[in-house]
Amino acid sequence: MIVLDPAHGGVDSGSQISDTTVEKNVTLALAFRLRSLLTARGFSVVMTREEDAAAVPNAAGSPMTLDDRAGIANRADAAACLVLHATRSGNGVHLYRSELEASKAQPFVAPWMTAQAAWIPQSQRLESQMTAAFSRSGLALVASNASVRPIDSMTCPALVVELAPSGDDADSINDTDYQQRVALAIAGELVFWRSQVQPPSRLPAPASATVRQAAPSDAAGAQP
Amino acid sequence: MIQRHQRIVFWCLVVCIIGMGVLLAVGRQRGRQRIAALADEETPLDAPTAMAETVTLDLANDADGSIAPASRQIALPEEPNARARALIDHLIAEYALPGSAHALPPGAAVAEVFLVPLPLVGYTTDSTSSATKDGGFRPTVPVAQSDPDPVQPKQPGGELAVIDLHSTFVNQHPSGVEVESLTLRSILGTLHANLPQIEQVRFLVDGQARETLAGHADLLRTYPAADTTSGATAANGGQSN
Repeated sequence: MIVLDPAHGGVDSGSQISDTTVEKNVTLALAFRLRSLLTARGFSVVMTREEDAAAVPNAAGSPMTLDDRAGIANRADAAACLVLHATRSGNGVHLYRSELEASKAQPFVAPWMTAQAAWIPQSQRLESQMTAAFSRSGLALVASNASVRPIDSMTCPALVVELAPSGDDADSINDTDYQQRVALAIAGELVFWRSQVQPPSRLPAPASATVRQAAPSDAAGAQP
Repeated sequence: MIQRHQRIVFWCLVVCIIGMGVLLAVGRQRGRQRIAALADEETPLDAPTAMAETVTLDLANDADGSIAPASRQIALPEEPNARARALIDHLIAEYALPGSAHALPPGAAVAEVFLVPLPLVGYTTDSTSSATKDGGFRPTVPVAQSDPDPVQPKQPGGELAVIDLHSTFVNQHPSGVEVESLTLRSILGTLHANLPQIEQVRFLVDGQARETLAGHADLLRTYPAADTTSGATAANGGQSN
């Protein structure tokens, strides 16, 4: 399972890339391209939005928040979660993982704003391998860390992939060949990644939580 | 024989000359008083009061996503809050120069910087009955914050810097993960290099919390003030090519 989050949508257009191009359309186009390539390679793909405006599942009309997007990713139990952005600054692909410090294991109840901490080693490995894949494809690349919501709340190996123009012309970001090269590099790397992903170890539940969990079944057993 | 109308014109000119002289003298005196007043109690708090000193600005480059240190000779105020604000103002001013590698709009970016000692302590009214003063007033007492894992200083004297940005600066900031992250990392690195007592940084916009800088970089979290130059980031896992 792979989660693709085409950032922005609806009234949130994201950045203005050129006179005729806004970020939300570029991220959605790249997501559709990636989904096709990943599905062809045997992945199941979940997208946080498939049309302009993102809506909360089972609550049509409610605009999706960043936390909603993280919730979709966390429920998917995905091998990788990719948050897709686009910008007019710089060139090539910008790759980011969370800036959180890695934790040794996932707590029984992970704090929402730092849930990614236990997955940082996995995200770091994915970023490293993705960096190599982009280099092999001859794509300009910047790889670093960034605090971009909702990635810090995701419980999966998570990266932000920001697409920048391929040249000086900002509209080159819409070039289908260019987007296809980027999508191919990502999809090819995820095929190798599928066999490597390992969830972090989980810390045991605290004693009080164990008691609370046991309570409902105990109560059911006590009924005549 | 001088005619009468010529005498009238002569004395009118004399009166005008004397009047202009008096006006000039009064204007000059008022100017002196205004300058003297500015030099006394009305001097801005963050006006530089020392000689120019060498500071390190961590300058960002959009082309390769890097941050590199650069030395500048700048006169800074002594007071730490004003010093931090002046540092960020100089940093943003560099980005507004023509040909900047990380172009940002000109203008004032920072409304205020507040340095708060760590760990954070809040205040509440003393609810004990004996604490009621004359007139029914209750004094305030310091309390530890309810967070069971509060931010602790790494070194004694460590401080949290709360940077209140102008919405005019934030609203004009270029949008994108890279360009926004570079602005924040540049500010964090510059503060760390010049004011090492600052360990944590939080951002506000016009005094209010805001979700992102320009749609991407998180402004709700507390950032560690650290070396954000590219060499240090690469050592922590970041890289570029």
